[in-house]
This record gives sequence, C-alpha cells and structure tokens, in this order.
Amino acid sequence: MFKIVKPGLKATIQDMGRYGYYHLGVPPSGAADKFSFQLGNLLLGNPVDVAALEITLLGPEIEVRKNTVINITGAPINVFINSREVPMWENIEVKKGDIISFEYKKNSGGVFTFICVSGGISHPKVLESRSTYLLGDFDGYLSKKLEAGDEIMLSETLPGAFKLVGKSLKESDIPSFPNDIDVHAVMGLTSSRITDTGIRNFLTNEWKVDIESNRVAYRLKGPTIDYADYNPPFGSGGSYANVVDMAYPIGAILLPNPEEVIVLLNDGTGGGGFVSMGTVISPDLDLLAQARPFSTLRFHAVTVEQALHRRLERKKKLKDIQENL
Amino acid sequence: MFTLPETRFDLCGDEYIYAEITKDMSAESNFKAIAITNELRRRNIPGIIEIYPANASYLVRYNPEVISPTDLMDYLKEIDITKSNVSELNFNSRIIEIPVWYDDPFTNEYAQRFKDRNLKHEISDFEYVMKANGYSDKKMFIEAHTDMLYMITMLGFSPGLSWAFPLGVPQEKIIQARKYTSPRTQTPGQAVGIGGAFSVIYPQNSPGSYQLIGISGVPVYDQKKRFNAFSESVFLAKPGYLWKHRAVEEEEYRKIVKEVEQGTYHYKVKEFNFSAEEYSTRKKDYIKQLMEDF
Repeated sequence: MFKIVKPGLKATIQDMGRYGYYHLGVPPSGAADKFSFQLGNLLLGNPVDVAALEITLLGPEIEVRKNTVINITGAPINVFINSREVPMWENIEVKKGDIISFEYKKNSGGVFTFICVSGGISHPKVLESRSTYLLGDFDGYLSKKLEAGDEIMLSETLPGAFKLVGKSLKESDIPSFPNDIDVHAVMGLTSSRITDTGIRNFLTNEWKVDIESNRVAYRLKGPTIDYADYNPPFGSGGSYANVVDMAYPIGAILLPNPEEVIVLLNDGTGGGGFVSMGTVISPDLDLLAQARPFSTLRFHAVTVEQALHRRLERKKKLKDIQENL
Repeated sequence: MFTLPETRFDLCGDEYIYAEITKDMSAESNFKAIAITNELRRRNIPGIIEIYPANASYLVRYNPEVISPTDLMDYLKEIDITKSNVSELNFNSRIIEIPVWYDDPFTNEYAQRFKDRNLKHEISDFEYVMKANGYSDKKMFIEAHTDMLYMITMLGFSPGLSWAFPLGVPQEKIIQARKYTSPRTQTPGQAVGIGGAFSVIYPQNSPGSYQLIGISGVPVYDQKKRFNAFSESVFLAKPGYLWKHRAVEEEEYRKIVKEVEQGTYHYKVKEFNFSAEEYSTRKKDYIKQLMEDF
C-alpha cells in the first residue's frame, strides 16, 4: 500500500483508459501521456495497461507501506526517497516506511509524471477501468484528486521484480518534453463554418498553451479566427459559434469564440455544440498534454494516411524499446 | 414517409469517423442516427471501439490497426443507405415523468452568480427563455414546456447528461435559447436547462452553458440503481426514450426530494414500442395517442 502524506497539485490513478461508454457521457480518461506510462510498466515487466499514479507538476509525498519496486517516468521532476535523490526512468527498490517525495523541476518541460509500481495499482475498477475521471461520480478513488490520508492499494509485487532493480531506459530512448512543439491534425469536422482565412490563420501562426488547461481540454491563445457568414442551423442556438450538439472526437479542435481554440484531451466532454475544425492525431496527444502552460505550438495539416504512418512509427518505437530492454 | 439527404462522412484523425446526417436538428435525423448505431452495434464489427449516436449525427471510434478507415467508411455508407428510409424503424421506448420546480431559487442563484458569462440580460435565465420564446406569462410558458413530449436524442457532456428534443411540435413552436457566451464552472445537480432546441437535466454539479429554467425533483443518475426506472442502467436517459416534464410547486418538490432521499420514490414510467412511421405520418396525433393512458 501507498499512503498519501501530502497530495501535491493533482495526483490521480490512471490506466490506459475506459472504452465503450463515451456515448453515455463517460470519456476514455487514462494516462495523459500513454507513451511514458507504458514505458514505466514495460520497464517493470508489468502488462502495459496496469494502473499507475499520475502526478501533475508538483508531486505528492507518499509513504510506502510494503517492500516493492517502482519507477518514475514522464515529465522531468526531481525524485527523492527519504530525501536522497534518485533517477527517473530506472527501477528503484522501496521499503516499508520509505517516503517518496518530489520537487518541481524549473526550466524544464512536461506536465504529467507517472509512478509505476510492480504489479500495478489494484483498486476496484469502475466500468472496466481504473482510470480516474474527476467529473464523474464513481465510487472509491476514481472521481477525485488524491488527498492526504488516502491509501492506495497495490497488487502483489510481481515474481522476480526485485531482480529488475536498477534496470533503466537507455538515455537515447527517454522521450523529450519540449516547450515548443509541432502538432499534426486532420482538418475537417464542421470547418465549413470557418472562413478560409481563419483556417489559414490557424495553420500558419504560433499558439500558446493557456494556464486554464487540464485533462479535459487545452485552451490555446493565438490569432483571431473568424466564423463564416453562415446562418446557424436550426436547433443549434442561433450563434455563429454553434452547431447542433454533436459527439466530439478526442483531439477535436474547437472554436468556441474567435479568440480561443480548445483541443479536447482524454477527459474530453463527449458532446457539445461548438464549431470544430479538425482532430489532432492520436500519436500527438501525449506531446500536446505534456506541453506546459505558455508553451508554443504549431499545427500542421496531415492526411489520414500520414496520420496512420505517424501512428505506426510511434508504435514501432515503443516495440523497439521494449525489445532492447 | 420521409427520406433524408445523403449523410456527410468525415475521417477525423486516425481513430474516428464523423457522420453528419443533417446540419439542422429534426426528429427524423435522430431516428436515423439511432437506427444506424443500433444496427452497427448489433453487427459487432471487430476494431470498432465506440459507437456514439448524437442529435443529428453519429461518431464511430475504431482501431485502424484492426480495420482500415476507408473500408469502415464504405461499410458505414452502405448501412447508411439502407436506413435512409426511416419508416421501417421501430424501437423500444418508455415515457418517464420528470417533476420540475420551475423558476426555482437554486438555479436562479447560480444564474445570478454566473451572469457575467451569460448573454447580456438583467433578468433571470427563466424569464429570458420565457420572453425570448414570445411568452409573457409564466404559467403559459411552463405549460408549453410540460405539454411537449421530449425525446432523448443523445447523451454526453457528463456521465448521464442527455439532450432532449420535443416531438410533434412545429419548428416555430419549439422552445429555444442561446447558450451562455462562456460556460458556467458550476451548475447545480438536477438543474433543467435550455440550449438551442434542446432541454437537458444536469445529472450532477458540473460546468454548463445552457440557460437554467428549473430543477428536477428526481435524479437522472442512480449509481446504486435504487429506483424502479434504473433497472437496466444507472442512467435514466437512453436515446429514443421520452421525458414528460410535470410542473410542481415548492411543497411537492420538497416532498419528492425527501422520498428520493429515503429511497421510496417511484418513477412514473410507461413502456411501449415507438414507431417512426406512425410518428412521421401522424405526428401530433401519434404523440397524443401515446399520452392517453399515461
């Protein structure tokens, strides 16, 4: 068991997500950066989808209540076991009574860091998943930020786990967490409601991640994007910003007003009525989620074929790393 | 009989297909969305991860490593054509009564608190919606909202929240409202809102951008399935179900809330088979017939 001593900014339990309930208003949720999350589990010899803790910028303080093996992956952060600094991306043995603590890393990038543990977190699943959805109303720990005193149940430490202590990811395999990123999107959805100049402005200018961003959506500030002069359809509410409420893809790029762009992430609200102009491709969602507030973003339009190519490249990279572990 | 125009398909990123049946809202578009998504669910195609019927569109999420996006799109187009004539469409439905305290102090307080995010009106949301729809009398407006039979056309936004669209009402009589210009960060649970041509009930405290006109005495989400209307699902709403709002005053509202707390409340429910063909030919008369023994 892990006991939360101090909660930090936002710590939640996450796995690879919850599927099949989106049409009921329950979004997929799941680790904000699935690449780093999976690497942590692979390094421990876990199945890639067992639950871990996701922490945000300012980490928690955790008391370890059993001997086991952990690693820390994702956004760079300073990690300490009983005040002794330990590396990220490496399996570390922790003992009953140890305190894991963190310190914010300045002049760095990334938002979400993962604490993976041998065997994973064992809390009861809700709707077939251990992913937290804060806006849900799920029993147990799956609809809340973890608080001081919370006790995180752990699965049995895997056989042979202690033999993997010290095993680490090659320096060249560690992902980077830049504050200046290029994101690829397939344009479309209800983009006919936006002027051509607006679409051009979107694709040729730089965007800044707004402070009001979270696991639901990232808000971006940049140039003005104008709506086309088009009569809003019946039932949409009569504003240029609205369409008849529809189901948004995760990664949807929304335009709630000409001054703001919103990209939906894993906790994205399933339905809504804002004009949208395209979808960020799934292999780029981790990169986007890891962009800190005030990071610079550029969007590039790609075809579906190019999106699939990027998806496979990334999958291959994960497989190559796994094979070389 | 009615036939809908060709659906517009759009490949979104590497995992989604968006199918826009019509840009405008109509009951017929929604019947088609329900028919296609029911059919697709029944066929159980490997690689399809989510099937999401929406108001006048639907969304499919798939794994492109299992099924090719273009093959899936062609496949959806074929199903789409077979379901363009919705006259053969029947589905199991139920009418559920929702007791609502209109113009209540709870939602009025939230509307007041978030008025900077709303359209510039100095009156309550209730009064705004009432006046924007040409009513000067509170009673007449409430009658209009309670007389209409609202069909659940989509779920989403938050777990169990649903959009409901009135059946058998000509477009010009449908109660409509513009949404807040920036969403409220809070909405009380069970608040009744109007946005576009839709009526919603917020299942729990959540953000929201619809104009608030009242509060439901009964929950639309019941995780423990304590009540009779939740035997199949923790959510009261399902696309194709019908909600009938009934106006209650403070005293009855408080009585109902108490019964809900004690777990003794019994939802008024009628099960029946909805025929889109009957609806499309008889419209208002069909709705009237459905309501006769409710």
